[in-house]
Amino acid sequence: MTHLKQIAFVLESFALQTPGQQLLDRFLTGYPRDGAFHRLENCRVSTYVASPADNPELAQRERDFGLRVHREIHQAIAGADGVVVAWQGSGAEAKDELLKETLQRVDRGTRCFVHGALSASLAGAHEIERLAASRRAALLAGTPLGVTWRLPQVEIPKGTPLKEALVVVQGKSPAAEFEGLETLLPLIERRPRGESGIRKVQLLRGNDLWKAGEAGQWSWPLLAAALSRSDSPQGDPVMDGRTQDLAGLGLVPKLAREPRGWIMEHEDGMRSTILVLDGVVADYNFAVRTADGRMISAQIYRPPAPGEHHFTRLAEVIEGFFRTGRRPWPLERSVLIAGILDFFRNRAEQTTASIETPHLKIPYAL
Amino acid sequence: MPSKETRPLGILATPRWTRRRFLTTAFKAAGVAAAVRVVPNLSALPSQLSASRTARKKVAILATEVRKYSHAQHFIDRFLEGYGWHGRHHRPSLDLASLYIDQFPQGDLSRERERRHGVRIYPTIAEALTLGGSKLAVDGVLIIGEHGRYPRNDKGQVLYPRFKFFKQVVSVFEASGRAVPMFNDKHLSTDWQECVAMVEDSKRLGFPFLAGSSLPVTWRIPETEIRLGTPLQESVCVCYGGVDSYDFHGLETAQCMSERRAGGEAGVKSILAVRGGRIWQELAAREQTRKLLFAALARSHTCKAPPGHTISVPTMEWIQKCSPNAVAYFIEHIDGFKTAMFLLNGCVLDFTYAGLARKTGKVISCQMHLPMPPRQTTLADFFNPLVHHIEQTILTGTVPYPAERTLLTSGMTLFAVESLHRGQVLLPTPELSVRYQALPASAFWRA
Repeated sequence: MTHLKQIAFVLESFALQTPGQQLLDRFLTGYPRDGAFHRLENCRVSTYVASPADNPELAQRERDFGLRVHREIHQAIAGADGVVVAWQGSGAEAKDELLKETLQRVDRGTRCFVHGALSASLAGAHEIERLAASRRAALLAGTPLGVTWRLPQVEIPKGTPLKEALVVVQGKSPAAEFEGLETLLPLIERRPRGESGIRKVQLLRGNDLWKAGEAGQWSWPLLAAALSRSDSPQGDPVMDGRTQDLAGLGLVPKLAREPRGWIMEHEDGMRSTILVLDGVVADYNFAVRTADGRMISAQIYRPPAPGEHHFTRLAEVIEGFFRTGRRPWPLERSVLIAGILDFFRNRAEQTTASIETPHLKIPYAL
Repeated sequence: MPSKETRPLGILATPRWTRRRFLTTAFKAAGVAAAVRVVPNLSALPSQLSASRTARKKVAILATEVRKYSHAQHFIDRFLEGYGWHGRHHRPSLDLASLYIDQFPQGDLSRERERRHGVRIYPTIAEALTLGGSKLAVDGVLIIGEHGRYPRNDKGQVLYPRFKFFKQVVSVFEASGRAVPMFNDKHLSTDWQECVAMVEDSKRLGFPFLAGSSLPVTWRIPETEIRLGTPLQESVCVCYGGVDSYDFHGLETAQCMSERRAGGEAGVKSILAVRGGRIWQELAAREQTRKLLFAALARSHTCKAPPGHTISVPTMEWIQKCSPNAVAYFIEHIDGFKTAMFLLNGCVLDFTYAGLARKTGKVISCQMHLPMPPRQTTLADFFNPLVHHIEQTILTGTVPYPAERTLLTSGMTLFAVESLHRGQVLLPTPELSVRYQALPASAFWRA
């Protein structure tokens, strides 16, 4: 277990309630961990913020907590045991050049965590993977969605054969799609032989999406199970607080605003679906059907602002990774997500047909 | 103050050989588990049981008011519309047959529910229970006496008509010659004698009596169970809200854990309730309680952060600054166990628990998850497990936890209010010698 002497943050920007701020502050000021408040002792925290360089929030942290703010990446990361790189917003839109510059300048053997997408493209993800290897940097990417609490606290037992999975998210593209993938893959990669990669992708919108559900292209029972975990159904519950069987009463198509669904066929025959359902619920939920027909479902719990303590869970994981150098999940997960997201944006959005994706045959196992 | 004619809990101490006495003694002789079993339902005669297997059971809800996010709305809608449970939308296998609504404020939803679902609102409790006939015609009764415009007494307690409703239900039970399971939302009453009378009536008439708050049965983050018989030394709950209101939730949060300690619940010896600066003075001499206070705060997801930050590692000074009007209850149990409850308004907006294990010094902590609409959610789904337990109580005649828990937490609440009212004094509480044993299965939501 390495004593951490310095942790550096390379941030696209710094503002309250952004992933960069949430993570930086946890390492700078401490965070609750295992039922106690935890502070990294004798650990310097340094940062480089791409823009704007002059930031009163950062100045406050320099003054009150000894944060070292640098104007060059290499200054911020020099001597760091671990480096956190974070993009703006949800992290869906990676800034490859910033990450590449960081990796080119880190000390050999440095551990590097990327909050958000590993790259804006599959090719870029592979290039970053190679660059990290050449620098002997242990590289990991992700978001809190794979590590936060679930309600209920379910886990797919490793090695469980799975037939189908469905996640419900909300938001604009590509943030919603990215968060859908960040929710989905940590669940389904636990099946026997791990993730096999994606064979086909299809995007469906509006009525086509509902028709596809009726035709069995994605599973209404899984959607009903996922929605049953929501604490934030929209429509009548917002009006008067009533509970409501959104799926059973046929309300989902009526409530959904510009719905879109991504249906993915995996190389091993598993099917997974990401439904972006604005106006239906306001939380993230999933349901998985095992090969023997059982359903497992839960809400991906994101505690409220401003604390957003799902970042506490992620900070704990990052700290463990920095201390041990052991990745809690494979980098290939993030390579695959970068590839799928790239394909979603640049190819799949142009058609409603199911498209073969041989380049997304990126298998990995835990 | 609580009634002057206080006495040790009569249901276990009365020397008369009533049916209640006989059953209680029989249960004592049969052992701990039997002591908290539900007394057989008077209605559960063989012929009636066979009939009940073929007919859906009927439920009556007696409520103070029904408006968006009032407690009654949460319960009524879960019976009428169903709710998320174990990965599906569950519709209760009971029919909400009747309502009695005491008040119809602006924004009333009961009339709309009556129209849309055909559930009739009766003008009296008796008619709601008899469905307009002459005999009890329902199989379960819920009293939801929370919210509504009711007078306050000089201690600031809202005089909700829970006991009044309860006694009217009991009258119908007695007149009908049978009794059915009953649920009372939140604490039993603001008067100790009334609290005792409610539990005594349930024993006398032999109906399953479930009561209390959703805190003991909601999600726990992380999922935390205290094994029955764990040697515990102290429990602390940190929460928010008002006196004679959310304090009850905080006490239920602590008690559902404390009661699992080795030896079971022994009853409460004294209560001291203090405000503001007095809290920090008391804490100065209570190192263990301070430690547990911070352990509980470490499970909070809402602990207030300083300006320019989103999280904080709180200090005692920070807590005092955020919550200058905090309220704390320091409770000593008869077996030496301690409970402390902190209403830290301005500091937190959630319910967290920390307990100290004797000998090992291990701290057990979690958050009792209460995602409150509309701040965090659109539904108050922490009512789901409570409604589930009510359903099961009515269907099976078995309660998931003893009414003595709610009796004791009701007593803690009203004696704490009394302590505040008398000037933050230590109150000996011989009345609260409520002994009971928790059931092996904990009833919180985890699937």
